[in-house]
Amino acid sequence: MPHRTFSLFILPSLLAMLLFVALPIGSVIYQSLFIEHEQIMVEVENCGPFGCTTERRVDAEAMAQLRAEEPAGRWNGLGTYFNAGHLAFERIGQIWDRTETWGQFLDQAMNLPFYKALGFTLAYTFIVTPFVIILGFCIALGVNALPNLAKGPVIFFSLLPMIVTPLIGSLVLFWMIDSRGIIGATLQTIFGDPTLSLKASPTLTWVTLFVYGVWHSAPFAFVVFYAGLQGVPKDTMESAMVDGASRREQVRFVVIPYLMPLVVFIALMQLMDNFRVFEPIVGFSAEANATSLSYLIYSDLRGQDTPLFASAAATSVLTTLGVIVLLTPVLIRTWRDFNRKA
Amino acid sequence: MTDTTAADAKLIAPRRRRRSATAKPLPLIALSVGFVALWVIAAAFPFLWTAWGSFKVEADFFSRQNWMNAVTGVQTLRQTGEAFTMDGYEGAWIEQEFWRAVINTAIVTFFVTTISLTFGTLGGYALARSGFRYTFWILIMALIFRAMPHVTLVSGYLLPFFELGIWGYLPTTIIVLVAINQPFTLWMLHSFFLSIPKDLDESAMVDGCTRFQAFRLAVIPVMWPGVITTGLFSFLLAYNDFTVTSMLLTAENQTMVPKINSFLGSTQAEGKVMYAVAAVVSAIAPLFVLIMFFQRQIVSGLTAGAVKG
Amino acid sequence: MARLQLKNVNKRWGSYVAVKDFDLDIADQEFLVLLGPSGCGKSTTMRMIAGLEDVTSGEIVLGGRNVNNLEPKDRDISMVFQSYGLYPNLSVYENIRFPLRVRKVPKEQHHEMVMTAIRMVELEPFMDRRPADLSGGQRQRVALGRAIVRKPTVFLMDEPLSNLDAKLRVSTRAQIKNLQSKLKTTTVYVTHDQIEAMTLADRVVVMNKGEIQQVGTPTEIYDNPANTFVASFIGSPAMNLVEGRIEGGTFTGDGITVEGLKAPSGPVTLGFRAEDASIVPSGGQIAAPVYAVELLGEASMITWRLGEQLVSVKTAKDYRAETGQMVEASVPAAICHLFDAETGKALPR
Ligand SMILES: Nc1ncnc2c1ncn2[C@@H]1O[C@H](COP(=O)(O)OP(=O)(O)O)[C@@H](O)[C@H]1O
Ligand SMILES: [Mg+2]
Repeated sequence: MPHRTFSLFILPSLLAMLLFVALPIGSVIYQSLFIEHEQIMVEVENCGPFGCTTERRVDAEAMAQLRAEEPAGRWNGLGTYFNAGHLAFERIGQIWDRTETWGQFLDQAMNLPFYKALGFTLAYTFIVTPFVIILGFCIALGVNALPNLAKGPVIFFSLLPMIVTPLIGSLVLFWMIDSRGIIGATLQTIFGDPTLSLKASPTLTWVTLFVYGVWHSAPFAFVVFYAGLQGVPKDTMESAMVDGASRREQVRFVVIPYLMPLVVFIALMQLMDNFRVFEPIVGFSAEANATSLSYLIYSDLRGQDTPLFASAAATSVLTTLGVIVLLTPVLIRTWRDFNRKA
Repeated sequence: MTDTTAADAKLIAPRRRRRSATAKPLPLIALSVGFVALWVIAAAFPFLWTAWGSFKVEADFFSRQNWMNAVTGVQTLRQTGEAFTMDGYEGAWIEQEFWRAVINTAIVTFFVTTISLTFGTLGGYALARSGFRYTFWILIMALIFRAMPHVTLVSGYLLPFFELGIWGYLPTTIIVLVAINQPFTLWMLHSFFLSIPKDLDESAMVDGCTRFQAFRLAVIPVMWPGVITTGLFSFLLAYNDFTVTSMLLTAENQTMVPKINSFLGSTQAEGKVMYAVAAVVSAIAPLFVLIMFFQRQIVSGLTAGAVKG
Repeated sequence: MARLQLKNVNKRWGSYVAVKDFDLDIADQEFLVLLGPSGCGKSTTMRMIAGLEDVTSGEIVLGGRNVNNLEPKDRDISMVFQSYGLYPNLSVYENIRFPLRVRKVPKEQHHEMVMTAIRMVELEPFMDRRPADLSGGQRQRVALGRAIVRKPTVFLMDEPLSNLDAKLRVSTRAQIKNLQSKLKTTTVYVTHDQIEAMTLADRVVVMNKGEIQQVGTPTEIYDNPANTFVASFIGSPAMNLVEGRIEGGTFTGDGITVEGLKAPSGPVTLGFRAEDASIVPSGGQIAAPVYAVELLGEASMITWRLGEQLVSVKTAKDYRAETGQMVEASVPAAICHLFDAETGKALPR
């Protein structure tokens, strides 16, 4: 296809992506280097019957003008990145000096908002992903063994947790694990502890979120594996049987190697999706015990009266770096494949 | 000879019946059926439970005494005189004006899906048919964009949109969702078009078409399966989005998902949590129908990326 | 109807050279076959003629006009693709009519033109079917019909028979030959099957690794292969090739000695065809234990292993020999071809 035709075809799509995906990344970097204007104070004299008092007040008019002139705020360089809300190097240094053991150090460092969010995000990403793969694989094997008539309905119900909006899905579970909900109440009865609440302790909240994550994404892995199982080469399978492989060995030496590329595919998709975990935290109202990088940005933009653009932007840039680190192995591999082919 | 074989087979079959080579041992079957049954319950029960509960009063669905109340509906009967009540739905749809959000969602999903598909088919087709190196780079770029957390992008939009005065409107949200959706759409349709033999459009070109005519006359008539599948996922993205819609829309322009979220703040305090439950069930219902009709396409769409690697 | 010239045409993808210095003059009404192993650049050459690929350098001249920068639609060619490229949503009739529609041929003429083409490819009973409801051979004929419906200046066919089974291939081959002789349209035909090439072509172009190896009539190519590649590609079985040395007009290799050759001394490759040599009781140029005996039906084939190479000779169908038995064959100098040991080029006879 000549370059000109190609560019005409791709133009709308490319333009949309450049304007609303690439440009915002630039915008985020730019915003992260500025910080909100300082409040301009004026002294106002209030004279009443008992004499005059002077009062300091924010000069709203001047502030508005300043904002109009420099909407991004004033130049702050990398200041936002290093402040207590983000990388907090100073605090980390203090904690390092103060603490004796690694355990203590990590413990205290994890209380800093950014590291707390990073910790949860990474934990979520790297715990949920393998569980999704394993559970998805088991379901696929199970469904594959069902009689054909049962497969359709089973797949139908299996798709629900994935298709339903994450926020709504987590709300549904949230209401059930409420101490007055069916799961929450049952757990209390089982453990004989009427105060037991999955929402109270950080650990239980994390576990709840992980379980939600696996529940939400397992259908994806299941469907991919299930389709993969349909494509396992019959010849290889049959020659394994003729060679005398047991059922377990067939799975181990024929099925799993054949599905390996799918594992890579699912892992890649899941790493990308889980790294931006956000909706379940809102849905489970879990922000007190678990925050993610995405949630930090959201609360910077939404939590306050005026959005903290600079703070959100700095977290965004750091998150983007995280995404790039996560994708690097994939990109390197693709690049190698591509060069080998060319 | 041939006449008797069928009868013979019938006679012999029962005596010769033994486990065929591919039949599984019984315990294994039991185990796998049990496991799948457990999974199906885990997957479906929460939704069925919530749908059932949405027709009860709060005292039943969130019962302090016994969760069985939600099944029997004791309090519902006492408070409303009937076993099922539409109170939650009335409160959500009418009192809280959930219908507005439904209309907004309809507008957003419709436009996001159609625009995404239009852009995506053109771009995906070009990527599948051009042999030049830059197609690789465009696809890689799309992959990186696909991995970007949406909220980081939103944090990039917010200030410029305020400045430009385009914040809060549906069209802004629509085009943003289209853009966020493009990487995925491009990949899907790119691999779908690769599966359409290029002989098809090339013969059209030799027969006298321009590239665009060949696309229109030869490719469009056969591309619908791929477009429908991709369209389903574009629809889901727009329908399910919370990040973009909750941050880029004013309260009256909100779509369903952010609307439900804003219910939580206001209604929970007033003891009207059943409104939220009803709204949630209202939002799930269309998805339920969607899976019912398009299960096959959803499955094939989920796998499409994997097969291509 | 036109003369088609390719002048020093090259095609590169990055550093990969798919077609190199391709120079060819195809006469009006000629049936030219591009023959070569798969991946040698035949399709690429044909696609450059069609305008589906740009040429990296060189010129394509069609009817005296440089068409390098013309779109496929403006070149007035038609093409039959390997997988046919039929429009699955259109009936047979509409498929064949498609080129007329998009080329804005006046509507009144469509029916007659389409029916003529349909009759030529014998598809009248299937006119209203969709391609999905046709057999492989019928689909192939729809593609042919679509190519001939408007009288193009050049037909291009890219392995049009390769998706058919062996029997159908023979009959369709004859049909294509017949069509071309009726229509007298310049035709370029791509195949990797040397029998197809030999039976159809006025002239054959043998290609390898993007380069022309030899151009000539089927007989010329069969009788006088220009190099070892052509020798080993044409004929079934392919020409026997034995490495060895010539000293004073006598060729010596493992298990073979041929006298009376007119060539300077030095290393050479000697070639001869299985059907030209014969089994003799004694005094043969080859004398070695038999490696295999194969029955071909109309003949038997005796194979020896001479050094690294297998050498075969055809003989009467009732000839019998045991594996390992000593058998001799006569390979007179007159049936031998000599090739340069290094370049593989044929040495003058
Ligand atoms: N678009 C392309 N990009 C890179 N290499 C290609 C492209 N198309 C074909 N090739 C390579 O060029 C060579 C010749 O291909 P082709 O002309 O199709 O061979 P054939 O003789 O079998 O028809 C092959 O090795 C093929 O891999
Ligand atoms: Mg080819």
